Amino acid sequence: MTTPQRGSSNPGLLERLGSLDRRWIFLSMGLSIALPILLQLRFPEVPGPMARATFDAIEAVPEGSRVLISFDYDPASAAELQPMANAMVHHCASKGHRIVFMALWPLGKQMADQTIDQVLLNFHPDLEYGTDYVQLGYQAGNEGVVKLMATNIPEQYKTDTSGTKLADLPLVGDLRNTSDFKLVASLSAGNPGAKEWVQYADSADKEAFTLVSGSTGVQVSQLLPYYPAQLEGMLVAVKGAAEYEMLVEEKYPVSKDAERIGQGRVRMGPQLVAHMLMIGLIVLGNLAMISGRARGGAQ
Amino acid sequence: MNQTNRPDRSDRRDESNQDPASTRTPVKSYRLLWISLAVLGFSLVALRTAAAQGEGASPEAARDLWTTLGIWCAAFMTLGIFSFLYKDNPFYKVCESILIGVSAAYWMVNGFWSTLVPNLFGKLAPGFVQSVAMPDLPTPDSPTLEMSLAFVPLILGFMLLWRLAPKGGWIAVWPVAFIIGTTAGMRLVASIEADLMSQAAATMKPLVMFSDSVDEAGNAVRAFDFWATMGSIVGVVGVLSVLTYFFFSVEHKGVVGKTARLGIWFLMITFGSAFGLTVMGRVTLLSQRFEFLFQDWLGIR
Repeated sequence: MTTPQRGSSNPGLLERLGSLDRRWIFLSMGLSIALPILLQLRFPEVPGPMARATFDAIEAVPEGSRVLISFDYDPASAAELQPMANAMVHHCASKGHRIVFMALWPLGKQMADQTIDQVLLNFHPDLEYGTDYVQLGYQAGNEGVVKLMATNIPEQYKTDTSGTKLADLPLVGDLRNTSDFKLVASLSAGNPGAKEWVQYADSADKEAFTLVSGSTGVQVSQLLPYYPAQLEGMLVAVKGAAEYEMLVEEKYPVSKDAERIGQGRVRMGPQLVAHMLMIGLIVLGNLAMISGRARGGAQ
Repeated sequence: MNQTNRPDRSDRRDESNQDPASTRTPVKSYRLLWISLAVLGFSLVALRTAAAQGEGASPEAARDLWTTLGIWCAAFMTLGIFSFLYKDNPFYKVCESILIGVSAAYWMVNGFWSTLVPNLFGKLAPGFVQSVAMPDLPTPDSPTLEMSLAFVPLILGFMLLWRLAPKGGWIAVWPVAFIIGTTAGMRLVASIEADLMSQAAATMKPLVMFSDSVDEAGNAVRAFDFWATMGSIVGVVGVLSVLTYFFFSVEHKGVVGKTARLGIWFLMITFGSAFGLTVMGRVTLLSQRFEFLFQDWLGIR
């Protein structure tokens, strides 16, 4: 923001805004986020084409198909990605897909465990480990893991997280490579993540499986060029999560703990108010600058 | 008089907020040390108390106790980090130091247990690692071969650490060259396929687009798709104009200059949307922290 003109006899309100202590802005930003949470403000979401493409891609896969969900994030990005993970796991399980969980990030395994506990087994308690879902966990190696999985999964993952050999688990006993999945989803916060899945898995066999992603706002600009040719569906930050939640809940409503499939929409309330505040501050800042310049020019 | 002085004060205030690192409140190191030790001591006592109570309590009660303790620690850290928004203070510095220390320690332990133990020690001495550290470690199919191969990264690792030795630093250059070479080789093929060929193919699509649908009578209908056509045109114009901006073999004058100028507009819009998405991500992080404070910590629902 601009500083007031020295020597001006009576600075106006706009000029005084120019010298506003930035802590007032921090406070107003805090309030703009805190109040919608406390008041539980929710606004209607209209699903966009990317969220709808992701939903349709999972719907298009035949019931009972083997799908892979890679948790490529940690708690630092859970605010944006966990709502997507919850909705996607519920969606896949409701559709009857058999889910293989894995992680390219060390704490991704814990995020997947949490999702299995709070969503998969909470909403679908009849699912059986080994037949309906398997947790492969984290493997070190970044993009090397994806590259090896594209050619030889048993070489990369000899056991699941509990130490059971893959051959002893019906769901993954005959897995050879990523082409054995009908759909791969990467919930990605950076490197390694969705970009590596496009580069090393999708490029290895473009027709074998459908690749979709959910990513943080920071990473979206890197991934947008891949949509829709290489990434058939894409959830863009918390906005994408909220839109996708709407589509999932509309078709597969839950009878309890509905907030698990509604975190994205809850976080869109503060988004709206905070963005309105930011736009207002940008307008005020520019007006203050223009006013200061005009006053300086007049003198 | 007041009018004249006010800008000076605001200037000083602005300066203090402009660069926090340069104007941080001087905190004497011993005071910071005592505060850190006090926090650490309090945490240890609390953990010991929780553990002692947990031993005699039911598993659910013990878990609740640990959860409560974790929530209070997380709330303490969150407020400590937020306190920097007012001004730099010891509370913030303690939280910052704990965050950095815990992060560094976590990555070191994680690297040891997820990489070195299973991928190196587990292949050099699988039986020992299984009996001492990782009972779930898969037994190698051909132990002799895997052990022999594991010596390659072991030797390269030692060569890399040779950089710390007073003499023979050049030895570390060889494993670095190996790492760079293999990484470049692996990424080159993937980038050419996914980022060059596929992206070029995705750009080469018809400028005029049609959409196929079925009418009420069940007949296939092909109609002009205005928005898809606009998308194609904008995509092609954007790619060509941005490429022109980065083409420096011709002076940016006349038609080339105007096209490059258009390319700058496309770049600015791209950067703007990327910035907007970043802001959205940061607001989400803040709202999640507030949700934690209000709901998990204070119990306001």
